[in-house]
Amino acid sequence: MSANATAEQIAATNGFEDLPANVRSLTDLVSRQDAPMQDIAKLICADPELTRRLLWAANPRATCEEEYVVTSVDAALMRAGIGCALLLAITDPLIRAVKRTFQTMLAVDLKNVGPGILPALESEHVIGEVAFDGKATGCVHLRLSPACAKAAATTILGFAPDDADLNDVIGELSNMVVGNFKSNLCDAGLNCKLSPPKIQRTTEFKLRAANGGLAQRTGFHAPDHDLFVDIIVNPWNG
Amino acid sequence: MPAKILSVDDSKTIRMIVKRTFAPYEATILEAGNGEEGLATAAAEKPDLIILDITMPVMDGVTMLGKLKEDPELKGIPVVMLTAESGRENVAFIAKLGVRDYLVKPFKDEQLIEKVVRVVPLTAKAVAA
Repeated sequence: MSANATAEQIAATNGFEDLPANVRSLTDLVSRQDAPMQDIAKLICADPELTRRLLWAANPRATCEEEYVVTSVDAALMRAGIGCALLLAITDPLIRAVKRTFQTMLAVDLKNVGPGILPALESEHVIGEVAFDGKATGCVHLRLSPACAKAAATTILGFAPDDADLNDVIGELSNMVVGNFKSNLCDAGLNCKLSPPKIQRTTEFKLRAANGGLAQRTGFHAPDHDLFVDIIVNPWNG
Repeated sequence: MPAKILSVDDSKTIRMIVKRTFAPYEATILEAGNGEEGLATAAAEKPDLIILDITMPVMDGVTMLGKLKEDPELKGIPVVMLTAESGRENVAFIAKLGVRDYLVKPFKDEQLIEKVVRVVPLTAKAVAA
């Protein structure tokens, strides 16, 4: 690896995955802060997945598309604001990071689904938490049932884990997911640093953003591997 | 003579994966949980290669790499970074400090072997008859 290699050369040689152009453009626009709302709307409209997720975020009470009160991208942005576009932009790299981590480390192909599709984690479950702090600040939680956490740890380690081993595996999976996500944020101009992963077990977890902040929950499903990934984004630092 | 590989990572999981990955080869895997321990182990054991994480408590991997390159006794030890950090500017900065290769987590065992054998020749262990 040459000491004079440019960032782009290193990325190309080592196969670093870049953000899709539309997500990159959206992040760039949002991080500028002065971008006209219609430019943001135009970009989102051009991508069915971003449109789907924005409408879902703008209709928090709806359980299905038929119940949507807000049905257009313009109206959704008017209602949810630019912070919602930021959340939308940065949730995309997070979803990619979760899928890539579970595929590479566990050979599990996760599908992202609306959180209401999966049964809620109501009994004790395992949470891996990593905070990010910088131009974008917030926190990511990976939440898994004890059975799912144990299955993941057993696959990675090759033996049935004790609690300490299980915590270490979930901590490392959280670190991989949020580390990849953070790299994408930095590449898009939203520089930030990460906290070390924190593991906890709890029966109660409420997804709550600080005043003016936003939160989004995404469910992930594969046989024996249902999990939730929650992101909380604090009010925009600019 | 088995290759001596030092794995510096605060995650026991990663150190176990590294150990398991090289178990079929004539290789001794040394372990350290942070940069400070990594420097001490490198000085004591003079490994053929260091596999280094970035985000660690006590001393991070970038600081350890800088100190390693300042030490005339240790600066020749090749380093392969193994980290979830793939931000372009950070990677370019680390490349300038002098690393032989860079592997981003999540990773597959084969990818790690491929990166390491480019630097240190590995011999498969003889299979008992």
